[in-house]
Parts: sequence; structure tokens; C-alpha cells
Amino acid sequence: MSGPRNAEDRLRRLLVMLPWLMEVGEAPLADVARRFNLSEAQVQGDLELVAMCGLPPFVDEMVDVFVDDGMVFVGVPRLFTRPLRLTAPEAFSLLTSARTAMELPGADRAGALGRGLAKLAAVLADAGIDTEPQGDDTAGVVVDLARPELTDELAKAAAAGHELAIGYYSPARDEMTRRTIQPRHVFADAGHWYALADDGRSQQRRTFRIDRIESIEMTGRSFDIESVGPPERFFDDPDVARATIRLAPPAHWVLDQYPVDDVADQGDGWVEVRLPVSSERWLAKLLIRLGPDAVLVDAAGDNPAVATARRMLDRYDERLR
Amino acid sequence: MVDRIERLTNLLALLLETSRPLSLVEIAGDLVGQYPENERSRRASFERDKAALRDIGVPIETEMVTGGPYSGQTTYRIDRRAYELTDLDLTPDEMRALQVAVAAVRSEPGQHAIWKLGGALDDERPAVSAVIPERPELPAIRTAVASRAPIEFSYRGDDRKLDPWGLLLRGGFWYVIGHDHARNERRTFRVDRFDRAGEGGADTVRVGASASFDRPPSFDPRTAFPADPKQIGHGAEESIDALVSISALRSGAVERELGSDRVVERHDDGSVVVSVPAGNLAAFRSWVLGLLDHAVVESPEDIRQHLIDWLTDVVEPDPETMRR
Repeated sequence: MSGPRNAEDRLRRLLVMLPWLMEVGEAPLADVARRFNLSEAQVQGDLELVAMCGLPPFVDEMVDVFVDDGMVFVGVPRLFTRPLRLTAPEAFSLLTSARTAMELPGADRAGALGRGLAKLAAVLADAGIDTEPQGDDTAGVVVDLARPELTDELAKAAAAGHELAIGYYSPARDEMTRRTIQPRHVFADAGHWYALADDGRSQQRRTFRIDRIESIEMTGRSFDIESVGPPERFFDDPDVARATIRLAPPAHWVLDQYPVDDVADQGDGWVEVRLPVSSERWLAKLLIRLGPDAVLVDAAGDNPAVATARRMLDRYDERLR
Repeated sequence: MVDRIERLTNLLALLLETSRPLSLVEIAGDLVGQYPENERSRRASFERDKAALRDIGVPIETEMVTGGPYSGQTTYRIDRRAYELTDLDLTPDEMRALQVAVAAVRSEPGQHAIWKLGGALDDERPAVSAVIPERPELPAIRTAVASRAPIEFSYRGDDRKLDPWGLLLRGGFWYVIGHDHARNERRTFRVDRFDRAGEGGADTVRVGASASFDRPPSFDPRTAFPADPKQIGHGAEESIDALVSISALRSGAVERELGSDRVVERHDDGSVVVSVPAGNLAAFRSWVLGLLDHAVVESPEDIRQHLIDWLTDVVEPDPETMRR
């Protein structure tokens, strides 16, 4: 449910709500609220306000709508009978969503989604977004959500409520673990695929990176499926520790690869960045990959890269013996 | 003074209903008591309302009056045909499929589009979803790609002119790939790294004339931008493969990533030796180091030594670097 809304947001929502109400004539207030993601009080308030709008000589008659006993009624429609055309961001977003859905596991490319997508060309042109003359613009815009093989099996298990036994490489502990999981949701974010699952080992809901899952077996047990969305992104969490690092020009790819809070130009090509650190091991790995092109300025603990690099050098020494 | 949403709604209704373009004086006259009396504050309030309506996508047309007593005044109206959504005749299953698609991406502008097309909020959360970054520059770039129009933008302080051949979402970022005029070669740019220009970023991307270039017929954004950074800058003639030992713990993941044909040795303890392209040394090094102590380069000797030197430098940094 939305928080406080400004006049623009309210009008934007009204302009999609009114044509729909005029189409159906009447509807329970609760249904209208759910359909348009508002509270009942918000719907009622906005409709009562718009009912007072009017122009001479039709004062108070422009939008004939009233709410009575939990029902919304619409009289003779005069204005706002048709929705406003799509804005360019809406049209782009709709198109990208449809194309993204085509790339998700289980997509039926030739089915209803593909047919719906094909019909969008007309509204896109109205929104000022040209499509390719041939109607097929696969060369022009590509959504690449390449996924690990096991993704489809996890998605099926989440949809069907099948419990799984998995072998999972835990990067924080650097070991292979066996777990029983109940997958709830499968999602792609920032170039990786994840499964959100109830983890039998920790008794908690955890996010697993699918490319770290070594094996999957069905346990034969089922669980009740419930509607679960993806979790909030961990790096937006202010409780996640931060580190400050200076980066030479060859290390500037870090800015492209990872979320960063701040970037400050140091002159002479170096930049200082503050970024969220998911674990000490992750920070060690980053610093080792960057080598002389990075200097750790500030972190929660000691520089974890030194001890890790020593261990790696030991492995090179082993080979000489 | 009335509630702002009431005034906005009345203004919208007036401009939709009017049979001829109206000046601000006429508008204020029709919307009695809704705009301030004072001319300057009236103009300011009206401009704010006009911007708000345009912001939600209302096409307000302006016209300058020439001749007559009102010569020089600006007049306003909304063309109903431009305002109204074209009917798409989506079948219920097509509507539903688009609704599910938008729910899977959790896009707010996409949800508004669904409402306008007559769909609902999909309250069933799909079992699969994807986070797709939204950038205000994308609609303009997409249009430029489709209409073959060059784009101009500033990228990390440099002005660029590009014939955009394609947009690619990969690894969670949007890239535009095309022909860079000044450098006269193919370049790839990350859209969220464009320098923002103008109010609200409105001038970040400037689109030039349509039909200005031809995209190479064989162009495909998927292959134009190597998915594997180890392959970047790596021509066939300079192909160098390195042998790398991978410990048992990571061997499965590495084999899945590279493919089984890259495994040259398998040991009883589960470890493997893989052959990995090392033509791009920086990318190769980054990949090997990412596996930490689960990967050791066996050969060639110069690359192995390079890794040892690199790690030694992390343990005992060069004092020159330390002073930074």
C-alpha cells in the first residue's frame, strides 16, 4: 500500500481508475482498492474529490461517481472514459517486462505472452517509442538472463512445492554443505540467479546462489506453497558493513561490477569508493584480484587479504616440493 | 483555494473539452477562484500544473496567437486523439500474460501501463522473477536504435556521439553498443554511467536525425559483447591456454562454467586440471584469483610466476603504493 501521495500520483491513479469504473459501472470498494493497490479510504477520498470537480455550465456533473455502503457507483460517463496513452517510460517498461518474461524459466514464447507482445507495437508508437520496421527487434534490444542449468528445476520445485536435498558450496565457510530446502522463489538480480528457500539446516529463510548448487535431489516430501516475493537487496541494507578502498584506473571496473555508496575523485586517476561488504572473505577476494591497483583505506576489521594471499602462496609452494 | 488535485482535474477537463485553444486568462476565467488573482503567481501556479500534467503523460499543445487583440499570447489545448490510448484488443489470456510479466519484474511504470490497458494488479506473486534496472535514458536510446538515429551524451566527462546499434541487458546492467564517431570504432557504454544533464536528466541523451546510419546486418548484441571477460581482447591467432589445478570443493562449479571438454585431468581426490584461455592476462588472473586457494596455475611458467609475484605483492605491498 502506498504511503503519503502527492497530487500528481493521485491524479495518475485516478486516470486509470475512472475509465475502468465507467466500463464496469459499479464495483465493491474493496475490489477497487485491491485492484489499484490503494486503501479503501484512499479510493473513497479521491473519488469523492473528483466528484466535486466540474466546469461551468456542468458544475459538479463532470464525473458522476459516488460511494455508498461499500460500493462504488458510476453514472453517465462524460469525461475520462478512455485511459490516457502510455508514457515513454511506461511503454518501455511494459515491453522490457514482456521480453524479460520470455527469458524466464518456463516461458511459453509462442503463447499468449508472445501474441500480447506483438500487439504492443501500436501503443509504443503512440508513446514515441519506435519499434523496428520489421516488427521484430531482437537485434535492437536484448535481455540476456542466461541461467545455470539447475535454475529450471528449482523454479519447478518452488511452483509445485517439492522439497529438495541440495549440495551447496558456502563461500562464507568455504565448504560444501548438504541441506534440505523448501524453495519459495527463484529470481535473477544483477547478473546472478538465486533461490529463496527455507533452509532445514539453519531453520531460516535463506538466499542461495544457484551457480553454487552442486546437486539437486527430490526428497519426495511436499510443502504448502505460499506467495513469496524476492528479498530486499542485501546491499541496500544499512546494517551491512562498509569498506573504503582507493582504486587505480585499471581497477575502475569495480564501479561497474558492484554497488557502491560513494565515489570521490582523488585527482591523478585514482578514486576512493565506499562499498558494502557481504563478508570478509568477499573483501579479501576483491583486494587480491585488484592487487597493486587497490589500497584498503578503512574496513571493519584488519585487512583480510594478507592472510588469504599467504595461504594461496603456500599452495604454490606445495607444488614445488 | 481548492485542493490541487481538484484544480488539476478541472484544468485537464477544460483543455480536453474546449473546442479551441485557450489562453491563460480564459482558463483562469473558466476555473473561477482556482488560480491566484495576481498575474505573476497565477502564471507560476499554471506552469506548475502544466508541468505536472505533462509529467503524467498528458499531451498539452501550445499555440501562439498571431493577429487580433490577443496577438502574442500563448494558448493551450489537448487533442483528444493524442490523449487517448489506442485500443489493443488484447484477449484475456494475453492481458493476463502481460500482467504476470510485469509482476515478475515488479516494475512500477509497467504496472501503470497494465492499468491503462485495462488489467489489474497481479496479486499472485509469480514463483520466478527478475530485477530489471529502470533508467530514464532507455526509452530515448531504444527509439534511436530503432529509427537509426545517432545519440549524443557525455560519458565520464567526455562528449560522445554514437550510432547506437543495440541495447543489451546483461549482468544486471544496461549497455548500449554502437559505432563511436570520434574514435571511429565499435564501443560499449553502460547506460547508468552516462553523465546526467538538464533538469531531472532530461538532456542526458540527445537524439539526432532518423535513418542516419545502417546497422551491420550481422550485428547481434549477444555476441558483440563477450559474455566471458576472459575472451575479451583475445584473438584466435594469439590463443594461449593455461593449465590450472582446481581443488575438489570447486571442481564441479568450474567444470559447469567452462564445460567438460576443458577438463584435462581428473584425480581420485576429486580435484581436476582444466585448460583455460589466458590470452587476456588480466581477465585470466582475475578469474583464477577469484577461486582463492582452490586454484593453482601449473603452466605456462611465465603466467604461473606472474600469479606468484602478484600474491607476494599483496602480502608485502610495494612501499610506493602504501603511501597512497
